[in-house]
Amino acid sequence: MNTAAKKSLSLGMLVVGAVLMVAALILDFMGTKGAMRGYLLIAGALLIIVGLLKLPNKKHTKIVNGLFLFPMVFTFGVTVMIPFILGIIYSFTDWNGVSVTQFVGLENYITMFRQLDFVYSFILTLLFTIVNIVSVNIAGFCLALLCTSKIKGKNFFRAAYFLPNLIGGIVLGYVWQFIFNKVFTTVFVGSNSMLTDANLAILAILFVNTWQYAGYIMMIYVTGLQSVPSDVLEASNVDGASPLTTLFKIKIPMIANTFTVCIFLTLVNSFKLFDLNLSITNGAPSRVLGDKIIQSTEFLALNIYKTAIGKNDYALGQTKAVVFFVILAIVSLTQVSISKKKEVEL
Amino acid sequence: MKKKSLAVLLAGTMSAALFAGCGGSGASTSSSAGNSKSEAASESTGTTTTASKDAIRLVNGKIEIDEQLKAAAKKYQEETGQEVSIESLGGGVDISGQLKSYYAAGNMPDMFVIGGDGDYANWTGKCADLSDCAFVKDTDFGYTDDETGKVVGFPYAVEGYGITYNADILEKAGIDPTTLVNYDAYKAAFEKIDGMKEELGLSAVCSVAAESGQMYWSTGNHLFGYYLSGGLERDDNTYFDMALEGKVDTDRMSQYADFIGLLYQYSDQQTLISGTYDDQLALWAQGKAAFITEGNWIDPSLPDYNVSFNCGIAPLAFTKEDMTSVLADSPSWWCVYGESDKVDACKAFLDYLATTEEGQTCLVKDAGMISPYKSSTVEPESPLAVSLKTYVNEGKTSSWAWANMPEGIAQNAIGLVYESYAKGDIDKDQFVTMMQSSIADYVANK
Repeated sequence: MNTAAKKSLSLGMLVVGAVLMVAALILDFMGTKGAMRGYLLIAGALLIIVGLLKLPNKKHTKIVNGLFLFPMVFTFGVTVMIPFILGIIYSFTDWNGVSVTQFVGLENYITMFRQLDFVYSFILTLLFTIVNIVSVNIAGFCLALLCTSKIKGKNFFRAAYFLPNLIGGIVLGYVWQFIFNKVFTTVFVGSNSMLTDANLAILAILFVNTWQYAGYIMMIYVTGLQSVPSDVLEASNVDGASPLTTLFKIKIPMIANTFTVCIFLTLVNSFKLFDLNLSITNGAPSRVLGDKIIQSTEFLALNIYKTAIGKNDYALGQTKAVVFFVILAIVSLTQVSISKKKEVEL
Repeated sequence: MKKKSLAVLLAGTMSAALFAGCGGSGASTSSSAGNSKSEAASESTGTTTTASKDAIRLVNGKIEIDEQLKAAAKKYQEETGQEVSIESLGGGVDISGQLKSYYAAGNMPDMFVIGGDGDYANWTGKCADLSDCAFVKDTDFGYTDDETGKVVGFPYAVEGYGITYNADILEKAGIDPTTLVNYDAYKAAFEKIDGMKEELGLSAVCSVAAESGQMYWSTGNHLFGYYLSGGLERDDNTYFDMALEGKVDTDRMSQYADFIGLLYQYSDQQTLISGTYDDQLALWAQGKAAFITEGNWIDPSLPDYNVSFNCGIAPLAFTKEDMTSVLADSPSWWCVYGESDKVDACKAFLDYLATTEEGQTCLVKDAGMISPYKSSTVEPESPLAVSLKTYVNEGKTSSWAWANMPEGIAQNAIGLVYESYAKGDIDKDQFVTMMQSSIADYVANK
């Protein structure tokens, strides 16, 4: 077969493939039932691929690369990119979870910041995130030091501290709710549950989150600490450095990149805190602010969830989620770029 | 070094994702677009499968009657060969949210539950017309589409609530439950029982739970319902209409606040501020409290506690004047999804439940509910159903106006006021003003 014939054959395949795919999509948008359109779509896609491969030119490697990437790109697009774009579009509408009747422009964005509960959740989440980063990292780092020291049974400790992280947040939250409501009130007879006081309830969530997450962060610190070269440590030992000096002057600067990772992970984790919040308090108890009453432990993620599901205001909830994404992206990128400057180049 | 830190970062996030998936936690919210959206995306593919292809699927909102419904479905299958699969949601699950995600995922059940106007607004035009069903002529409680005037909702029960009492304790204390029709009568009764707590074996007079995270439906919906329609004629919407405009009748609310204060005062304090539904029920069902602010839906749970005492429902009469009616209505309806290909099979099943003796036995006898059907000859047996039936028969019922309040108001506004009042953060006057401002704010933002 000569080149011209090859070329026209592959071009023909491309055209037929494209027609098939378009036909399948049109069938789907028209709401036709039946499995035919699926086969049409796949057949069309296959024809296009084969047609591209048969095209007489030298870009075959690129096409093959693209083919190998396709499953991941497609999955990523369907599960992340399309929902994300749809979400942004929905935030400008009056979507109620089932259908859209009109575009409302920026109205949702304005309403959102007028609501006391959202502003409160926002501030609460920021403060919580700061405190939680500190507590989780200090706890995790101390545990890591313990697990890399020469004490007996450190492998057991390592596993034990890591265990809470393997239990799902919802289960764990309900277990802790029981402990706060029943066990503590029985042990300290006459005391009220921590979860009925606005401030103590936040503390309770902070405590459980630290307990759950410190073990995981510990594992990363352990890896970091083990990567510190032993010759450097030996040299400092020979020079007569105390353990504390070794820790602050050698170990911590050497694992600065681990700190970047751990702080990033805790930051994102505490900002997105949802499961513990839902299961331990679900927003309760109430807090009286002037002449208004709001839910004292409603973090941002729960606020978004309740706006959409509880108040049946899907568009507003979606708007809050978009803002949530923007804030989270800004905060975490800033943190990573600042921490990176502190890292030591070997 | 840069490469190394990047590698650690990547490894860290990868394993984080791994564990997040493992724990099934909320960590997957990173794509701010949220889950429901990805389900929306898969809608167009329409490749969802159900357990059995021919089964009709019912999403039931009352988890208490799950077993009884499944038994009825099995019997129906034996008789007609039509399989019915029952999926029960409840116990804090957000049903309308769940239905929406089913809808978005193209996995809509053939029959589903709606709770009133707020829910129905989501599904207007998507429900099948049931006007030609046999059950429609047999009841006044069917849910009607306001615009088309067609019956779209199947009522499966009538429910009612007030203050449920332990009749044995009241008898020992020498109190006639029929006299509990105004504030003063309740006050006297509470005081008397409080004085006899030890000899009656009580730890508190009342079992009330006002925690706002999980019990908002009991306070913000049910108790608040008495303010809205307690003592009124069934079609009297005076206070409901006011509330929708963000107004509160100060005089009525003040009397109401007094009564709630009285209830709180004589309640078990732990249960009041941190108790769950189970705690509240256990306290009363184990005979440690004389009154509970729940309705006839606790009937099926009573055998779990081996309850042997008599009990009944009294109106939550907060007014100085006598209030002799309890709040009773059809709590929710079953709609048939109009785009289902099994609409006729669904209609047949609903008619079976409503008009045959087997169906009514399931709903009335086994599930302890009260039939909304006139032709039904099956009389309820469970104690609270019997008590409520007397109110229904005598026409001493008021409507459930609260069911049509804006969605989420109990959880996000009213329930909080009840909790603050229970904890003593606000006093009676603040309760009245905050109730006013909370409702006004919520209605304005809607």
